[in-house]
Amino acid sequence: MGRISWCPGCGNFAILRAFEKASQRVIKEGYDIAISSGIGCHGKISDYLNLPSFHVIHGRVPPFLTGLKLANPNLIVVGFSGDGDGLNEGVEHFVHAARRNTDITIILHNNGVFGLTTGQVTATSPKGWKSKSTPYGNPEYPINACQLMLASGATFVARVFTGEQKRMAEIFYRAMKHKGFSFVEVLQPCMSFNNFWDLRKEVFWVEKAESVYEAMRKCEDARACGIFYTEEKETYEDVVWRSMF
Amino acid sequence: MNVCIAGAAGDGIRGAGVILGKIFCKLGYSVFVYQEYQSRIRGGHNASVVRASEREINSHGYYYDALICLRDYVFEKHVERLRGVLVCDSSFNLEHDRKVEFPITETVKKLNLPDISRNIAAISVFCKSFGIEAEVVESVIRESLGKAGERNLEVVRAVYENLDITVGQVRRVGERKELVSGAKAIAEGMLDAGLKFYYAYPMTPATPILHILAADNRCVALQPESEIAAIMMAIGSAFGGERAAVGTSGGGFALMSESISLAGMAEIPVLIILAQRSGPSTGMATFTAQQDLYFALNPAHGEFPLIVASPLTIEDSYRLAGELLNLSWKFQTPAILLTEKHITESYTTAKLGGVVKKEVEIFREKSSEIFKRYEITESGVSPYASPPALVKANSNEHDEYGFATDDAEIATEMYAKRMRKEEKIAKVVANLEPYIEIKNGKDWIVTWGSNFGAVKEVAEELGFSVAAVRFMRPLFLPKISGEVFCVECNYTGLLARLLEAEGLEVKRILRWDGRPFTPEEIRREVERWAE
Repeated sequence: MGRISWCPGCGNFAILRAFEKASQRVIKEGYDIAISSGIGCHGKISDYLNLPSFHVIHGRVPPFLTGLKLANPNLIVVGFSGDGDGLNEGVEHFVHAARRNTDITIILHNNGVFGLTTGQVTATSPKGWKSKSTPYGNPEYPINACQLMLASGATFVARVFTGEQKRMAEIFYRAMKHKGFSFVEVLQPCMSFNNFWDLRKEVFWVEKAESVYEAMRKCEDARACGIFYTEEKETYEDVVWRSMF
Repeated sequence: MNVCIAGAAGDGIRGAGVILGKIFCKLGYSVFVYQEYQSRIRGGHNASVVRASEREINSHGYYYDALICLRDYVFEKHVERLRGVLVCDSSFNLEHDRKVEFPITETVKKLNLPDISRNIAAISVFCKSFGIEAEVVESVIRESLGKAGERNLEVVRAVYENLDITVGQVRRVGERKELVSGAKAIAEGMLDAGLKFYYAYPMTPATPILHILAADNRCVALQPESEIAAIMMAIGSAFGGERAAVGTSGGGFALMSESISLAGMAEIPVLIILAQRSGPSTGMATFTAQQDLYFALNPAHGEFPLIVASPLTIEDSYRLAGELLNLSWKFQTPAILLTEKHITESYTTAKLGGVVKKEVEIFREKSSEIFKRYEITESGVSPYASPPALVKANSNEHDEYGFATDDAEIATEMYAKRMRKEEKIAKVVANLEPYIEIKNGKDWIVTWGSNFGAVKEVAEELGFSVAAVRFMRPLFLPKISGEVFCVECNYTGLLARLLEAEGLEVKRILRWDGRPFTPEEIRREVERWAE
């Protein structure tokens, strides 16, 4: 595997370990996994996992995985994306992949900052936050990724925190086993540019909601964690393949 | 014989052109159909020019032997070109010495048929007055429109029973031929070369390819959220080991740029159909052009092997679409079929066949060892693998296993490995007719793309030799001398500039008005240079 180049203490380590655990469980059950990642610190995870992988370009993980899943429906495909990667440049792909209920899993590394380019605001940075590109404070309001995914039609939506590796591994596992578009937002600190370790004290866990509307309310607070919503719905691949034969 | 059908958007002009084209095909003629239409759904002005000949043709003509008008106001746009018979509704008040009039609108109304059936009525008027048997018209309508077209047969009968004028005699000249569009030819070429996935966002003039493949069960054709998504899905499917292609025009191609570079870096095969239309920007969306040659040759950042070819005719677009998909997989790099609206949306008599899928080896086994996907080889081509094989691909510079690296030594080797493929590609392309030469005389007309059909005719008449370039990258230019003309649909002469770089003196024959050349117009321009 590649030698890890993340900063010491980075939340990515916890995501990596949790995903290793979850993926080993899935593989033991007889499934094959292929992964992809975008551009940013998170993107390097492709090199650190002993799985088939494609480190693609900024924001384009969902359509890449859609094409791969169509070509080989037997694979469980998982995409890693960042808040900049997936919610700034690639946001339309997230919305459409969720809308189609394409059978892929997206894990969003949300550290609220462009880390690899040394600290600029992303779509999840808080309003007023002073970064290198916003010396007078971020003029924009942040996106709530889980709400966006719920509104777009995702059939598995969850949020976790890197401080709780065990729970994270369990949710990754369930997301991969979910048939349809599953989305897991991971709150992670950036040790170098956005260290919000205080969140450890602030995050709280909620139970799954019965409806999309209830789920929308439950995940409104950006510190709320848990599986907010799941739903069984026909997948994109199933519809496409059925129309062919 | 060159016939123009003109009317408004919504009058079924395009369909009428295709049906009339098929009627000529049925009588054994070689046919070319040019479609000129505006970017609107109703009103305005659309035209379809149908040319039929006993010899093989690949262009329409400038002057009309017959003009069929479905609206009175379109007459003045075309009258300058009319050298024969005007076919129109008796209620139109149009001045022309040779006219065949018929109460077209009234007949359609009386039969209680929708307005659009006026197109069938008008064709029937033309066919009856040119001595074509009713059953030829009826059988083509049955084949083209199926059950939905049944009632149109009543229109044909009404015209044939009530019109008693003969102004010409179109004879049967041979066995029935098939009429195909450029879009159909491209689709068939890709399918014969093993296409399994086609992803496209609607954009004129590439859209008909999506329509054709969406209705075809031999491949999956999908319409994603953008051209970026389209090419990324294609890259995903190719990484999964299945042949994939995308189709678009200039604006959508611009959006694909970054992903084309990704395919070059990660050595993923993908075929891109770039159907040119008039630009820059939105330009004239439904009109033809050849302005994107350099864009296709340099589509993205960084250096990587790329194959670009441009078909000369509709039949050639079948061959090249298949050839490029095969080459793309052989060399694991993107390929671009650079074509034009005048190919994709035109129709001609063609026999499609001969393209076969050239298999490549794909490793798909699970293993504990990481696959050496980017093994340094002499040819530059490394073994291909797809998941569940433990294969790693990367947009970053990488080592032989696909791990990201910025090591100077590895980067030097890996970059050179990729680029070495260009030499191998050139060797293969050299044997694939990179250009076509037709020797008629010491002076030359050089061209590329759809102009070929018109150029070939003029060159034969005036005693010029023809050189038509098919492969643009790698580029092989014919060895030519004497007086050299270059015919292109752009402002600066993009191919002409490549010829000049070889030290040739080139006389340009250019147009950038969105209209394709006819033989008559090229002849006029060649003669003008002589003055």
